[in-house]
Amino acid sequence: MTAHQLLGSDRHRDLRVRAERGAALGDAVMTSLVVPAEFRRVQDEYPILFRMNQERTDFVALALFGFENGENLFLKGDRWDARYRPLALAIQPFLIGHAAPDSDVRQVHVDTASPRISGDGEGIRVFDGDGRPTPYLEEVAELLGELDAGYRESAAFFAALRQHNLLEPFTLEIELDDGSINRLVGYHAIDEQKLAALGPDALGALHGEGHLMPIFMAVASLGRIAELVARKNQRNADG
Amino acid sequence: MHEDRTAPPQPSRPVRRVVIVGGGTAGWLAACVIAARIDKALADPLTVTIIESPDIPTIGVGEGTWPTMRRTLERIGIAESDFLLACDASFKQGSRFIGWRTGAAGDSYLHPFTPPPEADPQAVVQDWAARADGPFADHATTQARICRDHLAPRQRAMPDYSGALNYGYHLDAGKLAALLTRRAQALGVRHLRDHVLAVERTPDGDIAGVVLRDAGAVSGDLFIDCTGHAAMLIGGALDVPFVDRRDILPNDRALAAQVPVAADSMIASQTDATAHRAGWIWDIGLPTRRGIGCVYASAFMDDDEAAEVLAAYIAQAVPGSTISPAAFRRLAFRSGHRARFWERNCLALGLSAGFLEPLEASAIVLIELSLDALLDDFPPDRETMAIQADRFNALFRERWDRIVEFLKLHYVLSERSEPYWLAHRTADSVPPRLAAMMRLWRHRAPSRRDLPLAEELFPAASYQYVLYGMGFPPPPPPLVRPEGQGAAGRLLRQVAERGRGLAASLPTNRAYLDALRAATAPASLETQLT
Repeated sequence: MTAHQLLGSDRHRDLRVRAERGAALGDAVMTSLVVPAEFRRVQDEYPILFRMNQERTDFVALALFGFENGENLFLKGDRWDARYRPLALAIQPFLIGHAAPDSDVRQVHVDTASPRISGDGEGIRVFDGDGRPTPYLEEVAELLGELDAGYRESAAFFAALRQHNLLEPFTLEIELDDGSINRLVGYHAIDEQKLAALGPDALGALHGEGHLMPIFMAVASLGRIAELVARKNQRNADG
Repeated sequence: MHEDRTAPPQPSRPVRRVVIVGGGTAGWLAACVIAARIDKALADPLTVTIIESPDIPTIGVGEGTWPTMRRTLERIGIAESDFLLACDASFKQGSRFIGWRTGAAGDSYLHPFTPPPEADPQAVVQDWAARADGPFADHATTQARICRDHLAPRQRAMPDYSGALNYGYHLDAGKLAALLTRRAQALGVRHLRDHVLAVERTPDGDIAGVVLRDAGAVSGDLFIDCTGHAAMLIGGALDVPFVDRRDILPNDRALAAQVPVAADSMIASQTDATAHRAGWIWDIGLPTRRGIGCVYASAFMDDDEAAEVLAAYIAQAVPGSTISPAAFRRLAFRSGHRARFWERNCLALGLSAGFLEPLEASAIVLIELSLDALLDDFPPDRETMAIQADRFNALFRERWDRIVEFLKLHYVLSERSEPYWLAHRTADSVPPRLAAMMRLWRHRAPSRRDLPLAEELFPAASYQYVLYGMGFPPPPPPLVRPEGQGAAGRLLRQVAERGRGLAASLPTNRAYLDALRAATAPASLETQLT
């Protein structure tokens, strides 16, 4: 259940947001949407996989935090054990809204049903007593801008992947130290053979449109899967 | 085997039994702080006994602490949230002085606990004077803004006793004594609820022990006099003279009130000290009440006038309050201290050592610093005590003198013209060292050279907060550039930006303390539906 409101300095003058980490605040998630513009930072910490969106009209990119729903192996109590958190998480409980359904004007909206909305006077203010944005909101607005630009560039990125048929189904079967098997199904990854077979013209075009780097970052990110397995084994060992 | 020539001489009279006479804030702090530091692994460890008379009520007006209290509580082993809840405490980030300069509307300045950025104190003043864009405290620290917004200095998620800004506490002194009593028990302190009938002396004049009404004689090696104004050991038995400082600080009366407040009222981040025609009024905000009191000089104001002044303040500060002047507690005091605080085998702590008006809340911090000094060089044997007592007395005489001077500074800078305020400014009532420093400060800002002790109670920054808060003119640029002038400017530029971020992320005192209470309250029982 969501309740999106246009953020306003009058309406939300006293709004405070719980910006810390925690399962109760919605951080216990297995994946987060990521945009190609942040792949370079994402691959430093997380595997990047692809999946059809819910409407099955296009692909989305996801950073992987665990192997089952609700499992986040980076979340340790009130601590997120990584140097980078994807934009789509960092901006919560805010989101990008449109002035009207077909408008190009972007607005900052807030999900007032989010557990991050503080009701007890703790948390970080969004506006100061005079109604001016706080440094926190300024930072969030910057991230929202980055995320919005990233979303808009995504369509061209996935079109290019489709054009060169660079995604292949990716099924992962992991045996843990305790002998149990975890399976990831329904995901896609970059088809490295097809990528290696691309000719100079195709590579030049991908590079010119800025897609080549995120493609290779996604390839490199698969190295993080072994680390994620290690985190899972460690968590199981810690009980 | 060689003969060990470095072996220490055999102790002649080892110190093993510490006896604290008197409960109250001083006695219980001493018991906890000492007991927490004892090496219990030794074969023959130090023991601590505290004797608390059931007949004598404690004074319990010391309700503001310095930031040192955080370290003290941590050493004693009390969790910060337990302390805050048990003592009905709130955060204190400094003192606001209202009406001290002229008494006109808007006459107010803050002496915050957070010092200016780490830079040469004179460079900080030069940077402020060159910009002239607001009060000194606002220029020097983000704390001024945080205090204006009634914000807490920390978030609950931060580790105990650490904050985004420097802070101490406002607290209920009676509840603090009760909390420390429980903690002392856990630390193995022997607690005797008994009345002291007599003090016994050794042939050479030391204190041998005290005779109690029920328990009989209790002997000890080191005695700590926490008997309050009575000063039963240091004054009564050892006859150490009292040094009267009323020639400098003439206030000698106080009326104290406790005013309940609404559950959702704002809790101030600082002690408010509001000047009146013959003294000043303290105002300390706790979650459930405000401690408000009128300090005055009986030579300039009688008790009835003081009661009127206090009642008028309460009516304006806490509208709708129904407290009657009949409920005001009357206190008489003389500002001053013992000529020596450690005499023979007896150390005076708290009111028995001395008392000054609570303008800068110096009472509890002096107890803490005295205990630090005692424990940092604890006498292993009676033989060493005279040497250590001499050092202690020199250090603490200096400290009391410094506090007297610093309190006096608040008065001598005033432009108020009532007889009391004029009397405060006569040349013969100003300590010579303060007068000399004031002459210096016309030409240059307070510097580290003025205050050379390693652990100054009030560093140069404190003098600057009061001096420039009271409108003292900043000095012209120095002929010799202070060290790190550029660094001071850069650090001060960050103050405003950091203030915006802190103001956004800190909860109000009320929100913090309410959330703390809610988080520790037992879960309410679900009502059964039938």
